[in-house]
Amino acid sequence: MNCEVCQLKELDVEHFEIREVLGCILHTILFHRALGLVRPKDVDLQLFEITYVQCADAELEKKIDEKIGQFIDRVDKHPNKKTQICLSFYEVKSKQATWFTNKVERLHWEQWYINLNVAQLPKAHSGKSQHSKLVVDPGEVALEERDVRRAALEASLREVLFQIIKFVNEKRDHVPPIPNVEGVSFPYEITISSSSDSAFGMDMFKRMLQTGHPTMLS
Amino acid sequence: MDGQISNSHGEHGRFEQILSQFLLKSLHIVLDSRVPTIHPYNRKNDLSLGAQAKKSDKWFSLVLGDRPAALDNLSFWHRNLMDPMIIDIILVQDVPNYLSQPSPKAQEETVIERWIVQFEYVRTTTPQGGDSSAAYKKTYKKLIILLRSLFSMMRLLPAHRAFRKLCSSSKSCDYDINYKVSSFSAPFSRSEEELMKQYNFSPVEAQQGCFSISVTYRESLSDFNLETSALFPPQIISDYVGSPATDPLRAFPSTGKGVCATSFPSRGFQSTSTHSERPHSWTSGIHRGASLPHKQPLSGSPPIYQSSGRSDLSSSPTDVYGHRIPNYRLPNHYKNNNFDAYQLSPPFSPSTSPSPPTHLTGGNFMQSRLRSETSPVSIPHPMLGRSPRYLSPNLSDTSRHSLPPLSPRNAKHDSSSQESPSGMRSLRKLDLSKAGELNSGMPISYTGQKLSGDTKDDSGRFSGLLSSSGSPRIGFSRSSSRISFPDDLDDCDFSCPFIVDDVDTSDLQSSQNLGVSKTLEVSSQVISTARKSHDAAVGALVHMFRTAPPLRQDSSCYSSRSMKQEIGQGAGSSSAFFLPRKTSDALEELRAYKDMKELLLSKSARMAAKEEA
Repeated sequence: MNCEVCQLKELDVEHFEIREVLGCILHTILFHRALGLVRPKDVDLQLFEITYVQCADAELEKKIDEKIGQFIDRVDKHPNKKTQICLSFYEVKSKQATWFTNKVERLHWEQWYINLNVAQLPKAHSGKSQHSKLVVDPGEVALEERDVRRAALEASLREVLFQIIKFVNEKRDHVPPIPNVEGVSFPYEITISSSSDSAFGMDMFKRMLQTGHPTMLS
Repeated sequence: MDGQISNSHGEHGRFEQILSQFLLKSLHIVLDSRVPTIHPYNRKNDLSLGAQAKKSDKWFSLVLGDRPAALDNLSFWHRNLMDPMIIDIILVQDVPNYLSQPSPKAQEETVIERWIVQFEYVRTTTPQGGDSSAAYKKTYKKLIILLRSLFSMMRLLPAHRAFRKLCSSSKSCDYDINYKVSSFSAPFSRSEEELMKQYNFSPVEAQQGCFSISVTYRESLSDFNLETSALFPPQIISDYVGSPATDPLRAFPSTGKGVCATSFPSRGFQSTSTHSERPHSWTSGIHRGASLPHKQPLSGSPPIYQSSGRSDLSSSPTDVYGHRIPNYRLPNHYKNNNFDAYQLSPPFSPSTSPSPPTHLTGGNFMQSRLRSETSPVSIPHPMLGRSPRYLSPNLSDTSRHSLPPLSPRNAKHDSSSQESPSGMRSLRKLDLSKAGELNSGMPISYTGQKLSGDTKDDSGRFSGLLSSSGSPRIGFSRSSSRISFPDDLDDCDFSCPFIVDDVDTSDLQSSQNLGVSKTLEVSSQVISTARKSHDAAVGALVHMFRTAPPLRQDSSCYSSRSMKQEIGQGAGSSSAFFLPRKTSDALEELRAYKDMKELLLSKSARMAAKEEA
């Protein structure tokens, strides 16, 4: 079984748009992968004229909201980094219990990478604070720019949803058999990582290898 | 044999079942998402209530709710399962009747979407044996995914908006959506095809063939003027700010800013406030003469003024550097519009004003006005260009007190606005120049602030000449015969080396003396400010002594240099009084002492010679 990876198109969002955009994408993916019995629920976005479908599952909603909250926290802590969310589905293969390990192995068969480029907050605020003349004109220009940007984001988000549907349709063979459960049928995990984290980790690892740092032994 | 036949029948039956259910489900999905009559809006409640889904509804793991009875009877529409099922979504619009006669309105029908759901039968030669159950499961699983994507796609296509509007709009729309199901349909015309786009879902392969869904849809429905922009119900804006017309006392932030801008058009007034301030109070505050300088955005925002304007004077304003500014009392005469010119410029940037003292005073004035409503008393401050940040920690206690005139002459000087600035100007000139200039070249540095000593002179005000290093400045004392110190400063702990002795200063240049005395007069007023808080003043003095630069031989060039330095450093940096000392400064000072010593020695020698003679 191979692992299918889908890198979704990168979206430029503002901080207050994160929740809606991320929720829309995550729920759409999960709706297509929750192959147990579901009741679909239409959700209209507040900021965009887009309707997406989610499983009417309170627990799933709660989990997704939590993850989005974690993502937003991560973005707030690391404003200058690109934070990525990875939604991955896996199968659980329990290894034979040995003397040393009794691990449960996870075989990922599908990974979705959601790339959000969050615009920095100061940009928005600095526009407000630089008032050396009448406020009206700069405000209007800012509003126009915001409308343009909003429309572009809506189109991009729509493209991402199309991208999900296309991927879901084209790759079907790798999906494991559906267990007899309701709702989300396959175990999944959502991981959040910042752009430089992996780079940092790799650098550290390389450095340790080169220098033979004593902490390596621990 | 029989088993095989029955199996094949069974399999065929299973396949037919899957196929028919697939067609039904896809029809349900399409019509449910497009035709309001098929999908009444309240039907959603059934799903949300967690009602037990019918077994027939559980097909493909997608619970859609009760299927309309009309749809159940698929065979009515679809005789042969192998034929494609074509679903046309039709937009029905009333054609405007241009004829005068009341004929029934014509309706225009346009196919905005065409869905083709079919099973393409492929005769395969591969044996049908094997694990067909697993194959069916796989096929079923893929059909589930296909139908999920169909469900999602229904909401992404343009026609969905028209459908939602139709469902949500309480009043009748000028259009309607209808449908037609058939196994064949007339192809689109060329012009229609140009406006349509096609999307094919990936087919699901099965043993007998493949299931496929495709759609041809109109890319844009703008031609129909369906007014789909206001699709979602209007939301109540909870924090709506009313227009000034409805609520004149409440202003938009922009309005407030606009008021500010118009009030100070030539000042480049920075209306940076994001608070919605009452324009009235702001405007009235502007015209309240005394409070005008407070418009100076010490922190760059009107609310600072506002809070003070409303006599909320508990908190002193912060200057541009975010430090608390003590309130100084300023003379009544400063209440006039003299300071208008400076009200919007930072009080502590001397570069913007030709007269720094006034500038600073203006700033002080602002601060004091913010603090108290009583009549201000003039505090001509010799600490020109010095940041209040420096002053505030030391003189905050004194801030409340006016500078009482130390003598009648002091009072006179206090009340004269013109003299003080000039005095301060000359003081500024001298603050870095040595009094040695007055005293035949002896370098003396002074800070012009606190002094202890006797009030000697008829001017009786000046008490502010101090040595920066604290070393005895005998020469200065000689020159400061006209310098008087306020009696009040006697209780200052600090022993000032410049306690005036009544020394003959006849050999001093008179003009310079006058200049010095004037500046000293001015300085004394400042010093008297400090007398009220001895500890604070002592601290200030000590600090000054430590940081004050020595006086220079050439007062003019030094003062200009000091001005430049001050300008260069900006308001927040050390003033001209407190230039950093360098080795060269110390050497020069040493040289000056040597000269002084020699001079004294020569004088004493002369006097001795006279006596002898």
